[in-house]
Amino acid sequence: MSQPECGAGAPAREKPEAKMNSRKISAIRPSITQPFRLLIAMLREVFDEAPYQRFLARSEVASSPVAYADFLREGETAKARRPRCC
Amino acid sequence: MPKIFRVFLWTATSLLGAFALATIALHRGEQINAMWLVVAALATYAVGYRFYSSFIAAKVLAIDPLRATPAERLDNGRDFVPTNKWVVFGHHFAAIAGPGPLVGPVLAAQFGYLPGTLWIIAGAVLGGCIQDFVILLFSVRRDGKSMTEMAKTEIGKLGGFVSYVAVISIIIILLGAVALVVVNALKSSPWGTFTIAMTMPIAVLMGLYLRRVRPGKVLEASALGFILVLAAIFGGQWVSQTPSWAAVFTLTGGTLAVLLIVYGFAASVLPVWLLLAPRDYLSTFVKLGTIALLAIGIVALRPTLHMPPLTRFIDGTGPVFAGSVFPFAFITIACGAVSGFHSLISSGTTPKLIRREPETRMVGYGGMLAESMVAVMAMIAASVLQPGVYFAVNSPAGIVGQAPETAATTISAWGFPVSAAEMASLAHAVGEQTLFNRTGGAPAFAVGMAHIFSNSLGGQAVMAIWYHFAIMFEALFILTVLDAGTRVGRFMLQDALGHIWNPLGRTSWYPSILVTSALMVAAWGYFLWQGVKDPLGGINSLWPLFGICNQLLATVALCVATTIIIKMGRVRYVVVTLIPLCWLVAVTFTASYHKVLNPNPRIGFLAHARQLASAGADPRLIFNDRLDAAVAATLVVLVAVVLIESALEWARVLSGRKPAEVRETPFVMTRLALEEQA
Repeated sequence: MSQPECGAGAPAREKPEAKMNSRKISAIRPSITQPFRLLIAMLREVFDEAPYQRFLARSEVASSPVAYADFLREGETAKARRPRCC
Repeated sequence: MPKIFRVFLWTATSLLGAFALATIALHRGEQINAMWLVVAALATYAVGYRFYSSFIAAKVLAIDPLRATPAERLDNGRDFVPTNKWVVFGHHFAAIAGPGPLVGPVLAAQFGYLPGTLWIIAGAVLGGCIQDFVILLFSVRRDGKSMTEMAKTEIGKLGGFVSYVAVISIIIILLGAVALVVVNALKSSPWGTFTIAMTMPIAVLMGLYLRRVRPGKVLEASALGFILVLAAIFGGQWVSQTPSWAAVFTLTGGTLAVLLIVYGFAASVLPVWLLLAPRDYLSTFVKLGTIALLAIGIVALRPTLHMPPLTRFIDGTGPVFAGSVFPFAFITIACGAVSGFHSLISSGTTPKLIRREPETRMVGYGGMLAESMVAVMAMIAASVLQPGVYFAVNSPAGIVGQAPETAATTISAWGFPVSAAEMASLAHAVGEQTLFNRTGGAPAFAVGMAHIFSNSLGGQAVMAIWYHFAIMFEALFILTVLDAGTRVGRFMLQDALGHIWNPLGRTSWYPSILVTSALMVAAWGYFLWQGVKDPLGGINSLWPLFGICNQLLATVALCVATTIIIKMGRVRYVVVTLIPLCWLVAVTFTASYHKVLNPNPRIGFLAHARQLASAGADPRLIFNDRLDAAVAATLVVLVAVVLIESALEWARVLSGRKPAEVRETPFVMTRLALEEQA
């Protein structure tokens, strides 16, 4: 029995080289995206977005001006006591 | 990676670093490319990090990957949070990098680029990084205790008291010195003054946006704030070209000083969310972006250094500040090489975020290496200028004269040719009325940065924009240090005064807030005012005083570290902290001796006071010199007491008269290691 042709009703079968290439790409992808994810995570921590998300999760409330005011109040002393180096 | 390849890679890196260091150290009479400094620094940092820091981690500190950190044990989602090491690295770097590594190297460039560069590289790898790393780890092992608490428990009550006095003194003098840098940068500059003035309403707008419109979207608000700041830079050009508005924003040093003092007080008493927090976000946003931009600019353009490796001023006769290369180069550059202030940050927020003990190496040692690289970039920015231009910008009128022609003639006579016409043309290109006598380091750095950027992006036509961008960037840094420092100082005062009268210690009681804020602002404001009125430009007195305070704090931090290492039974490795400690003692004590007792009136405070007295000068100027001498002498005596107390403790432990007890939190097995393995 002959093999069904690509595009003739049967699902297209990936060529072995293409399969290998896609495997390579999926292996490389995390090494490209991970630094960006880390950079975003770092910026979110430095700019207090991640602490705010943790606060919302801990307090089990949705983001709102009131929740943000509570978050600021909670961290006010810690933030004001944090020195910035010269 | 195969071992043979690793050996080859590290041998090649070491040889490249050695070759680059030899090139910058041995070239005489011809200009070199800035990339040699970059390569020398990066190769040394790589070797230092790979080998020296891993030796310290394994042998000296015996870092234990199985020991749970306070972030894991005390995780409360608020102060103690186990955080990814790269995220903590960014957080730590944003806290330690400020205006210091930009200003210090620019001032020290008066000796030529060589002494400062070698000190930045060697000081960081062998001193500053070790202090930051070791203090961070010791704080992690003590549930995130602060440096002053560790000094108290490991050395003694006196150690704790001296640390407290050193910290509050350094904050006061630091704030006075950096405020003077801003005043000198904005004096008679309507463009710069307008831009910086605009950052205040922009910060308030950001605060309101975050609180009312988009709660918690800080990155978004910071990006919007940054766009508004850029608009303010362009608006500043219009202001400077419109005579009626230019007159409003053309201010004297005295007026600017008063405005800064008022600002410092307001920032200390207003709610954090309204001014301090948004300014901090804006400053961090600009800081991270601009440092990255400067690094890219230097690597892409590879500028030539016009400053010679050594100038005639290594003998101590320099116009920027007086004093010979030893010890003054080593106290002028503190942040970027060794900074005692970092020990406060390494024992502040950072230890509460560390997930695993081995990560302290990358955050503590690596973070300081990154700051050191910023200092190398600042040295490059100052050294790409023609030396004549550098000295014209950085020399006070009291040394080179007020009139442009007189100043140009004096500087040219030193062997650094410059003309009044050349300076006028440069001032016009950057949108300023004059660039003569703009002491403090910020304008020279801004001219260097504008020079680097305008060669690639926009050419000479946008040099003025780049110059004012750099001024805005530095002033923003400094104002953030100013408001955060005033608040930290206020809290410290409240803590201390609370022991005398309880209500004064209540941080939310408004009368206490007003009194302690006023005391703090009055203290640094006095030093600022003294700098503004100083006939020698102020930086000559205040920056060395700040450097001495900062390095004395590092001395206390290294005393704490050495004491703990001895108590840990690692005496054979104690040289790791003892050598930088001995070096800092030599530097700070020699510098203090010269600043107090040197008979040269340009160096010694007391000699200057005598000179002023014999000339019948204003008694307040004489008092200022005596006050500076008293501050330097008092701090040295206090640190000497800590040194003696530490040495006695070492002797007691080493002779067996006292058991070697470390006050670490008991060992608890980490769960994170098992989770990672699974």
